[in-house]
Order: sequence, then C-alpha cells, then structure tokens
Amino acid sequence: MLVLIVLTALIMAPLGLFARYEPRPVIGWILAPIPLALFLAISALTPEVLAGGQVVQAIPWAPRMGLELRFMLDGLSMLFALLVSGIGALVVLYTAYYLAGDPGMGRFYLALFIFMGAMLGLVLADNVLTMFMFWELTSVSSYLLVGYKHDYPEARRGAQMGLLITVGGGLALLVGLVLLGTAAGSYTISEILAAGERIKASPLYTPAMLLIFLGCFTKSAQFPFHFWLPNAMQAPTPASAYLHSATMVKAGVYLLARLHPTLSDTTLWLYTLTVVGMTTMLVGAVAANRRDDIKGLLAYSTISKLGTMVLLAGMGGPEAPAALVATILAHALYKGALFMLAGAVDHEAGTRSLARLGGLRRAMPWTAALAILSSLSMAGVPILFGFVAKEEQLYAAVDNGLPPGLDVVVLIAVVTSAVFGVLYSWRLVSGVFFGAPGSGMKEHVHEAPAGMLIGPAILTTFSVVLPLGLLPTTGTFLQPAVDAISNEAAKISLYLFPSEISLPLILSMTALLIGAVLTRFEPQIVAAPSPLPPWLNGDRIYDAAVDGVLQGATVFTRTLQNGKLRSYMTWAVLSLIAVVTPPLLLFGFNGLTLPNLDGVEPFEFVSMLLIPIGVIATLQARSRLGAIIAASFVGLMVAYIFVIYSAPDLALTQLLVEILTTVFLVLLFAVLPASFERLTSPAEQSRDGLIAVIGGLMFAGIAFAASSSTELSPISQAFRAESQTQGFGDNVVNVILVDFRGFDTMGEIVVLFIAVLGIYAMLRLRPDASLARDDEEAPVRPARPDEAVLHGNGQDGRSAPDAREAPVAGKGR
Amino acid sequence: MYDSIILRNVSRLMFPILLLLSLFMLVRGHNLPGGGFIGGLLAASAFILQIIAYGPMYLRTTFQINFLNLAAFGVIFAALWGLVGLVTGQAYMLAFWLKEPIPGIGKLGTPVLFDVGVYLTVIGVTTQLALVLAEEPTLYPIQRPPARRDAVAPEA
Repeated sequence: MLVLIVLTALIMAPLGLFARYEPRPVIGWILAPIPLALFLAISALTPEVLAGGQVVQAIPWAPRMGLELRFMLDGLSMLFALLVSGIGALVVLYTAYYLAGDPGMGRFYLALFIFMGAMLGLVLADNVLTMFMFWELTSVSSYLLVGYKHDYPEARRGAQMGLLITVGGGLALLVGLVLLGTAAGSYTISEILAAGERIKASPLYTPAMLLIFLGCFTKSAQFPFHFWLPNAMQAPTPASAYLHSATMVKAGVYLLARLHPTLSDTTLWLYTLTVVGMTTMLVGAVAANRRDDIKGLLAYSTISKLGTMVLLAGMGGPEAPAALVATILAHALYKGALFMLAGAVDHEAGTRSLARLGGLRRAMPWTAALAILSSLSMAGVPILFGFVAKEEQLYAAVDNGLPPGLDVVVLIAVVTSAVFGVLYSWRLVSGVFFGAPGSGMKEHVHEAPAGMLIGPAILTTFSVVLPLGLLPTTGTFLQPAVDAISNEAAKISLYLFPSEISLPLILSMTALLIGAVLTRFEPQIVAAPSPLPPWLNGDRIYDAAVDGVLQGATVFTRTLQNGKLRSYMTWAVLSLIAVVTPPLLLFGFNGLTLPNLDGVEPFEFVSMLLIPIGVIATLQARSRLGAIIAASFVGLMVAYIFVIYSAPDLALTQLLVEILTTVFLVLLFAVLPASFERLTSPAEQSRDGLIAVIGGLMFAGIAFAASSSTELSPISQAFRAESQTQGFGDNVVNVILVDFRGFDTMGEIVVLFIAVLGIYAMLRLRPDASLARDDEEAPVRPARPDEAVLHGNGQDGRSAPDAREAPVAGKGR
Repeated sequence: MYDSIILRNVSRLMFPILLLLSLFMLVRGHNLPGGGFIGGLLAASAFILQIIAYGPMYLRTTFQINFLNLAAFGVIFAALWGLVGLVTGQAYMLAFWLKEPIPGIGKLGTPVLFDVGVYLTVIGVTTQLALVLAEEPTLYPIQRPPARRDAVAPEA
C-alpha cells in the first residue's frame, strides 16, 4: 500500500503531458484527483496510526548491503504525507489556471508529479538509504521546477544555485547517514532510533551528526545557506507554493524531527540547532521586512519560520515537540494559501512589487479577504491557527531545556521574531490591498478565476476553522506526530483561550502590541541598512565560489587536456604507474617465480620476439602508413599468441579489433601528410620513452606477480565446471559473457553506445565555426535531400550555396 | 573512396559472405568460438568494406539503416531479456531456456537473445563510428551524406 502510494505519483507523472491540449484548465480537474486519491488513501490508514500503531511495508532490494525499499507510516510521516498530497492536489488544480497560457505546462506537471512522488517517498521511507534516494530526487525535480522558465538567466541561476547547494548538502548527508548506519548496525530508521543510546556513546556520533546537520541546513535553507531560497523564487508560483508550504524545504526539518527522539539532548545537538535555528529565524524575519517583492517577502518569512522549526527541534523541553508539530501545520496552511494568492495578484495585476501595488481590495475582494485571513494567521493574531502555533512556541521557549543564559536569549529571539512577523504580515496586506491604487499595475484589474481561489480558500478555511471548535480533534490528530518526535511521553494541548494569565500569553500580546506600533515606522524600517556586513552576502559568496570552481576547472583542463594525444597518453600512463607501483614494490616480489620456459617451442619463442620488433618498427617508421602497419603487426602477433595458447575467442576478437583499428587509423590518417614531422625535442622524447619503459616494466611485473600467485585458486576451473551444467554452453568464454557475467556485458554495451553518442556529438553537433573554416578551402554545402546523389567518388553535393541549408548544427545553445 | 575496380568487385562479393559468416559466428557462439561481439565486429567489417570501396554515401543510400538507432535498439533488446527473470519474481538476468531445441536454430534461451542484442549494438556502434569518420568534412571535404536527417540541430 505505501509503496503504491509513493509510486503512483511517479508513474502518473507522464499524464501531465496531456496539458498540451486545450482547454487547459480541464487537465487540472483531471490530474488533481490523483493526489486527492493519495490523500484519501493515506487518510484511510489514519485510524491505525491514531491507535498508536505503524504501517510498514518492505521490499528487499540489495539485502546484503542493507538496502531495501522500506516504508513506514507513523504520526510524523502521516502529517507530512497528508500535507504533501493534500496541498499537492490544490496546487495541481491551481497550476491549470495559473499556467493556462503557457505552452510548457505539460513539462511543469511532469516535474511537479515527480517531485510529489519523491517527497512522499522521502517522508514515508524507513530506511536511510531509501530516504536519501528520494531526498536527492526532490533536489533534482525542484531544479526542474525552479528552472522552468529556462529562457531567463535568473531562473537558470536560481535553479542551479538550489541544486548545487541542496545536492552538495545531500552528499554530506549521505556520508552522515552511512556513518549513522554503521554506528547503529542497521540502515533501518526505526532500528537506528532504537539504538539511540549506543550511537550517542559511539565516536561516530559527532561526525555523523555534523554531516547530517549540513544536509538538513542546506535543504531547509538555514543560515548561512538560506540565500538559495529567495533565488528559487524564480520558479512559477505554483511550484513556490508547493515547495514552501508543504514540501521540500521542510525535508530538513522532517529529518531532524525524525531523529529527535533518541539522538537529541546532547550538547552538540542542543547548541548547534539552537544557534543556527535562532540566527536563521532572526535573519529571515529582518530580511522579510526589507523586501519589495511580495514573493521575496514570503520567501524570507519562510526562512524565518524554518529557523523557528529548527530551533524547536534543537532546544529541548517538554513543550517543544508539540510546538514543532503545530508550527509545521500552521505554516503549511497559511504559507500555501499566501503563495497562491500572491500568484493570483501577480497574474491579474502584472506585478509583484509592493511599491507598485495597492488598493486591490476593491478589484479583487475574494483574494483580499483570503489573503487578509491568512496573513492574520501568519502574524499570530488570536483565533487563527497561526496564533495557536505561536502560543505553543512561546510555551516551549519559556519551558525549554537549555542552560541558563541561553534560554533567555532564545525567549527574546522568539518574541522578536513574533514582532517582526506582525510587521511583515501587515506590510503584505496594506501594501497590496489597501491604500491608493498602485501605479505600476495593469489597468482594469479583475478578480482571479475561481479555479485559482479554490486552493487558497480551502487552506484559509482550515486556518480559521481548526481553532474554532476543532482544536480537540486537531490535538488528537497531531498527537501521534508529537509521540513520534518527543523522547518522552508528551501530550499536545492546543488551546485558544488560556485559562489563566500566563507569561507566554503576556509575551504574545506584547509582541502583537509592539508589532502594531512598529507598523507606524514602516518606511524607516524598510530603508534601514542591512544589519549584516556586506561580505556576508550569501549570493556573493556563492558566485565567488562558483567562479572559483570554474576557473580551477579551466586551469585543470588546460593542463590535462591540451589537445595533444601525446600528453593524454603521458598522464594516463603516469597515473597507472602511480597507482600500480607501490603495491607491486611492497608485495609483488614475495615468492615471485619466473615462468617455466620448458614447454616453449622455438617457433613460439620467435613469434613472441616479433612483437618487440614490431614495436621498434612502429617507433622508427618514417611514414604514417608504415607506422600503422607496424602497429597492426604488433596486434596481429598478439592475436597469434592467443591462437598458440588455444584461446580462439580472444584471438578472433583481437584480430577483428585490430583490423578495425587499422581501418579507423587509415581513415583518420589518410588526409594527413604522408610523413611525420618532428615536433618534439630529444629531451622530451627521452622523457616519454622513459615513462613508456617504466610503464611496460610495471605491467610485466604485474603479469609475473599474478601468475606466481598461489594464494587464490584460479576462477577458471569453477567456470569451466559450471558452464555446461548451469549455462548450457560449451564455449566457456561466451557463457561467461552472456550468462555468468551478463550484467557486466550489459554495462559494456551501454558504455559502447555512450561512446558512440559522444563521438557522434563531438563530430556532428559542433558549432559551425570549424565547418566554415574548411569551407573556405572547399566551398561545399550539404546536399539537399531532393538532389540527385551519385554514389562513388563524391562528385556530388556541389550545389550553389543555399540559405535554407545554413547551419545544420550549432544553432542550439 | 578508393577508386579501385578490384576492391569494388571483391567487396561486393565479400559482403554477403561476411554477413553470413557473422551470423554463423553469432549463432554458434554459445558452444564454439564466436558470439555476439565477434559476430558484430564481422558484420561491421562487411559494412565498413563497402564504405572503403564505394564511400559512405553508398552505404547510406543503399541500406538506409540508421546505425545509431540500431545500436540503441541492441542495448534495449539485450536489457529486455534480463527482465524475464524480474517478471517471474527472480533476479534480473536470470537465464531461461527452452526445453526442446528448435530445428535448424538450436536450443534457444534468454542468454542467446541477449547475445543478439550485443551483436546489434556492436554492429551499430562500429559502423556508425566508421560512417561518422568517413563523412567527416574536415577529413574528407568532398564526401557528404545525401541528407543529414539525423543531425538536426536542437530546437532553439
């Protein structure tokens, strides 16, 4: 069942391509039921989870490596899976209207469904390696989503930045997960959690955790990696809504929450997460108030909230798990709605700039109403779900598990971020919907189509209705998630009206009050200089790093790939010598026996001697053809040796390969001058000769050492014994190739195919520059299909230059 | 390419013989020296001989085979026969054999069919390589394919 849920979204992804056909919105109504069905399927499993159980499904994959496709549904993964599929359904529907005029909508749906499947796999996985696979798949599919408008350099840059940072963090995560699995002795998440105490005592705990933190921080846009998220705003709004509300950026928070029960409350965990989360929370909240783009404002507010979540995962204390779960739900509800509404405003008014928008409440009353309600929830104003979550945060901050000193700092930080939250919520609402009508908008702005409002309406309704009467139900529903996160029995108790005046309530009201007062000073706050030093600008550091890598790669490439075959050979042989020599010198000469020459017939000896003679002839050749023939002679003699030692298969292959190599060499050399020119100095020649001789000696040494080895029995006997009985063939070589080691052969033919693709691309799909250069000498244009073509000596294709035939290749970038 | 009457006549005669030999090598490969790789190289030699004797255009127009597609088909064809094991719930590439030999062909099993995939891939790769080189404008400015249908630039 769980595997089916994960695979459905992935398998259904190509259906999105039907979005090519008109009328576009219909495809939304056809596709949205798919995630809705997933939502219902997961809901159907809810009773079992609410009863305290888990749903597990495992398919072995590579059992000896501890790799299996193992999925588990518990409270935490259920919360995430429901958000992913539920908000996914709304986003799919919204996309149909938002991108109705866009020709690439099918491609967008394809990536969106792959992303959905990857995200479901990530949260449901119960094996860290399975989880990692889906983790990286979310990075790749979000790259496709963010870079959707690939004609724009900013979109490409944003997509590439997100990919490089999250995948780079993902690599750290992989190492961390493997270390964690090694410390636990299992890659299954539930078994890792069960071994929590042992892992904490292990020396691998610190490196494993630091690497995992790196993965989570990059994915969840924590300071100092937060800058990719605003750049990812280049994505079409439906993708932003999805990425921010329910899914990708919360993956890091999800993993931290998943590991929380048994791996937390160490100093490392407490301090790292608290400091990083708190910094992110404040940086995001401050930056959100300085943004003019409404999507940028929302992006930084997401960063702030992600920081809050990491802080809650880090700081410990009895209330933190409940606060984390409530924050995840509240944030998904209001942020999903707000992004979709921001898209609606952008779609109708033609701009996202706060300075150019204004007074839209009359033209877009429904959008305004929904946005105001969701913004109130974001600000944490009472009776909305955002308020409930904020109260939980404050309770957790008051009663945290941090040492004295730091706990006060955390409390102040949480209140400060609440104050800024009020401020940016107010900026959003007042800037877009109130005041004088903006100057930079389209004329005659209309209300967004109903299809674009359904999603935000449903999410906003939840933000309003959940606190109004459904709180006990919500608490029951969230309780399994809290159980999955907390390390001791913790009860979630959501409330709307506190029974008594408590410190959190006073702080909450104070924050609202200060926020309301600060709205008076909005222009000054927006204009205030950045509190961070300019060199700490993530964008700049990223650009410098990417430039540095590119420059380094250029230098490296110029050194290694200078276009001379001679230097390629030198590097290849040198690296082989470097790898092979040390073990050969250390171990190779133990018990080395020279081969037994007793049974060697004189003619065999002579044929072997002919090989070095051929090599010397190649070196001494004055003409290209002579060199080719001498080199082929060497190959043929090797084939002959195979014949002598009764290896007809090898001999045949060697013979054919030798013939074809000669043909290819002749093809290449035929147009070059007939004789060689000396382009190297004697010093270079002797250097290359020395390298060649050493390389040859090393390989001879390896051959001797291998044939002298008696420790391992030769594998050939086993193959010979089993080829007839198991592989039903007398030709052992062939049975090995197609049966015993068929998988290798499969890989080899794939390599062959890739090689020919590469050669084809290099020779055929290159920029026309090289063609033009040749055409100066021989003004030949490719023949047109309708031209009479003579086979034979190529007396064809000489036609007048034809504009239509102009560059065949090189048009694409 | 090489304007030689002897080469042209010999290559015309050799072509069917080499192809038959390559098929023979392919089929007998499971019990005697031969197999998909050797057979494929032999068949490619047959095609390349035509290129040398008549030029690449002759091969393009006379046979009308897209060797790149042939190679791709070979890879997929070979991979396909590994799936039989997967479908029956066993390991990928597990061998399956017919109980009774088919008259004239011999005993058939998935490894033999896998070898056919190797055969096609090797023919496609090697011949395409020779074609690309022989049609290379910097090397042979005169020789051009009749229509470069397979070298369409990506849509801008």
